[in-house]
Amino acid sequence: MTTHRLNIAGVTKSFGPVKVLHGVDLKIAPGSVVGLLGENGAGKSTLMNIVSGSLRQDAGHLHLDGTELALQSVRDGIDLGIRFVHQELSTIGSLSVAENIFLGDYLAGRAGVIKRRDMAARSQEALASVGLDRIDPNTIVETLRPGQQQLIEIAKAVVVQPRLLILDEPTSSLTSVEAAKLFELMRKLAADGAAVIFITHKLEEALNNCDRIVVLRDGALVSDELADQTDKARLIHHMVGKSSVFEWKGSAAKASDAQISIRGLCDADAHLSPVSLDVGAGEVVALFGLVGAGRTEFMETLFGFRKAAGGEVFIHGRPLRLGHVPTSVRNGVAMVPEGRKVRGILPSHSVERNISASNLDRLSRFGLMRAGAEQGAAADLAASLRIKMENAKQVITRLSGGNQQKAVFARAVMVEPRLLLLDEPTHGVDVGAKSEIYEIIHELALKGMSVIVSSSELPEVLAIADRCVVFSQGEMVGSLTRSEMSEGEILRLAFANH
Amino acid sequence: MTQEVTAAMTVEAQSIKKLLKTLLARRETSVAIILLLVVILMSFASEYFFTQRNLLNIGRQASVVAIVALGQTLVIIARGIDLSVGSVIGLSAVTGAIVAQTTGSQVLGIGGALGAGLAAGLFNAVLYTRFHINPFIATLGTLSIARGLALLMTGGIPVSFNGWASWFGAGRIADVPVSLVMMFLLAVLFFFLATRTRAGRNIYATGDNPTAARLAGIDVDRTRVLVFAVSGLLAGLGGLILAGNLNSASPDLGRGYELDVIAAVILGGTALSGGRGSIPGVILGALLMALLGNAFVLLGISSHWQVVTKGLVIVLAVGIDGIQRGRED
Repeated sequence: MTTHRLNIAGVTKSFGPVKVLHGVDLKIAPGSVVGLLGENGAGKSTLMNIVSGSLRQDAGHLHLDGTELALQSVRDGIDLGIRFVHQELSTIGSLSVAENIFLGDYLAGRAGVIKRRDMAARSQEALASVGLDRIDPNTIVETLRPGQQQLIEIAKAVVVQPRLLILDEPTSSLTSVEAAKLFELMRKLAADGAAVIFITHKLEEALNNCDRIVVLRDGALVSDELADQTDKARLIHHMVGKSSVFEWKGSAAKASDAQISIRGLCDADAHLSPVSLDVGAGEVVALFGLVGAGRTEFMETLFGFRKAAGGEVFIHGRPLRLGHVPTSVRNGVAMVPEGRKVRGILPSHSVERNISASNLDRLSRFGLMRAGAEQGAAADLAASLRIKMENAKQVITRLSGGNQQKAVFARAVMVEPRLLLLDEPTHGVDVGAKSEIYEIIHELALKGMSVIVSSSELPEVLAIADRCVVFSQGEMVGSLTRSEMSEGEILRLAFANH
Repeated sequence: MTQEVTAAMTVEAQSIKKLLKTLLARRETSVAIILLLVVILMSFASEYFFTQRNLLNIGRQASVVAIVALGQTLVIIARGIDLSVGSVIGLSAVTGAIVAQTTGSQVLGIGGALGAGLAAGLFNAVLYTRFHINPFIATLGTLSIARGLALLMTGGIPVSFNGWASWFGAGRIADVPVSLVMMFLLAVLFFFLATRTRAGRNIYATGDNPTAARLAGIDVDRTRVLVFAVSGLLAGLGGLILAGNLNSASPDLGRGYELDVIAAVILGGTALSGGRGSIPGVILGALLMALLGNAFVLLGISSHWQVVTKGLVIVLAVGIDGIQRGRED
C-alpha cells in the first residue's frame, strides 16, 4: 500500500444548519501539483481550512503521510509542514520583508535577541525562489505592491521546504511574469517532494500547471481528472453543472441625448493625464489596462471619491459637482468598488442592510426609515440577483464571496443609477457567478443605464463591452469599437506607454 | 433504563447550556444578570435598599452618566471616541453659571451651558473631519483645553448657579427626579434614532466600514460631525444637571466622568471597534454602576473598594463577552 502525502476521507462539515462539505474524499501523492477548482461557496476554503488546522471537521479523517492529523490550530499544521497561503494578504505592513518571512519563527539567540543578519540572509534565498531577488530583505513591506506582498507570503511558506503547500488564488494580484515564476516554483517544490494544492479561478493556469485537476461543487468532489485529459469546457461543465461560455449578447446602446460626458478629467494626485470620454445610454464601456494604468484612479475621481484637479462631468446634460460621493449618488452615479472586503461590505451588517446602504434617502421619509420599504426593496433585488442566503437578516460575512459581491452589486443597482461604475466586478468570483454578473450588466444596459466597467481580463472585456477604452500609464491611449476589438489590439494599446 | 435516564439528562443539560449560551452571547444580558444579582443581594443585606427614596436616588445618580453615555454610544458606534466629556461637563456648567449671573437671564444661562457643550462637540468634530486628527488625540486635547478654560473663567473658584438649573439638577416631577425623567425620555429618543432613522443607519455603517460607507454614498463626515456634536450637547446637559444639583458650578465638575461614561457604554455591549452597540445596553450599564455605588454606601464599605469593584465588573462583563465571541484577531 502506498502512503499518500494527504489522504482526506469522508470529511463533512456544517455551519449551523448549512452543510458545506458532504463527505469529501481526496488523495494526493507527494511530488504532485493538484488544481482545486470550484465556484465560490463550493467548499474549497472550508476544506483547506480543515486541512490546515483552522477549522475542525464534523466527521471523517485526514492523514498526512499515513499519520492521522489531529490539528488543534494552524500552528500545529505549520509544525507538521502544512503551509496555507491565503488569497487575502496577511503581511504586516510596518515590518520588514525579513521580519514578515520569519514572523512567528524569528531566529533568535539565547537571550531572545533577534539575529537580524541570519534572517536577512535566509530571506534573500527565499525571495530569490519566488523571483524577488532584487528586493532588499530590510524593505518595509507596505512600500511594496500588493503583488510583491503576495509573493512575500509565498516566500514565507517555502522558507522551510513544506510537505504540503496550499495556494489560494495566488495569481490574482500578480503580473504574468511573476505568475510564471510562481509556477516554476510550484514545479520545483513538487520535484523536491512537496504536494501542492493550487486553488484558482483561472482555468488556463490550472490546465497548464497542474498534474491533476479536481472540482468541488456544492460541497462534494464532482470530478478528478488528469490535466492533459481535460479541457476548459469540461471543467466549466463540472463546476457549474452545465456548460457555459461567455458570449457577447449584443449591444443595448441606443441613440439618445441621455449620455454621460466626461471632459478633461484628471485627479489631484496626478496619476492621470486629462481624460475625455462619452458614454451613451445603454452603452457598456470597458476600461482595460495593466496594473497601475490608472483605471481605478479614473473611476474614483469620476465618482468623487478622489479629489479632481480639473475637468467636468455631465450626467444627461447636467453638470456634476465633483469630489463629493453623496452628491454623485444623488445625481445617479453608483459604484461597485474593487476589493469586496476592504471597500465593499459592511461586515457587521445584515445582507439586507448592506443592500440598502446607498438608498437610505429613498427608503426614509423626513429622516425616518419607512417600515417595510427596506425589506421589500432588498428582497426583490436579492431575488433578481439570485443571492444565495438563509435569510436577509443574516450577517453578510456568513455568505460566500460571490454572494457578498452580488449584495454589493445590489446596493449599486438599487440606486437605479444613470451611470454605473464597476471596478473589477468579477475579481475572485467563480465562473457561475461571473456569467450571472455579465447577464445582470446586460440587463441594466437594456434599461438604458450607461456602464463603465474596469477589467483586467480580456475574455471579460470581449464578452460585455460595446467599446473598449485602454489606459496605459495614466493616459487614455485608445478607444476600440466592437469591430476593432481583439485581444491583440487591446494588449498592443495597453503596452503603448511601456 | 439508567442509560435512558442519563441520555435524557444529557439532552436536557445540553438544551440548558444552549439557552445559556445564546443569552450570554449578548453583553447586555450578562450586565442585566449582574444587575439583578446585586439587587437581590442588596434587598437581603439592607432593609433601606428597597425604599422608594433609595431607588429614585440610584436613578438620579445614574442619570448624568447615562445621559452623557447616550452621546458617547453614538460616537463609539461610529468608530470614534470622545474623551473630552468630563471636562466639557465642567466647562458647560461654568459657562452657564457665568452667563446667568452676568445677564441675569435664566434662559440664557441654560442656553449658555448647552451651547458650550455643543460648541465643544463641534470643535472635536472639526479637529477630526477637517484636520484629520485621530479622535482619541483630538478629544484628549479638548479634555485639557476645556478644563483649562473652565479654570480660567472662574479663577478656580466655584460660581453659584441656581434658579432653573436647580430644577434640572434637583427638581422632581411627581416625586421622580427631573434628571431621571430626562434620562428615560432621551433613552427612548436615542433608541428610536439608532434603530429607525436614516441618521442612525449612517452611524452604524460609518463605524462598521468607513471606506465602504463612503463609497456607498453615505456622508461619513457629516455623520461624524453629528455624533460629536450630540455628545458635546449631552455633556452640556450633564453639566447643567450636576451644577444645578449642587446649586454651584465648580470648574472641577465632571473630572474623571469620561471613564465612567465610556465604561457604561462598553458594559452596554457597544464594540470599541465600531458598528455594533445598543441604547438599552448603555442604560443598563449606567444603572449597574450607580447601583454598585449605592450598595457600597449602604453596606458601609470603604469607597476605595468601590473603585476596584467598578473595574472588576467591567473586566468581568466584557470578559464573558470576549469568551463567547472567541478571538477576534
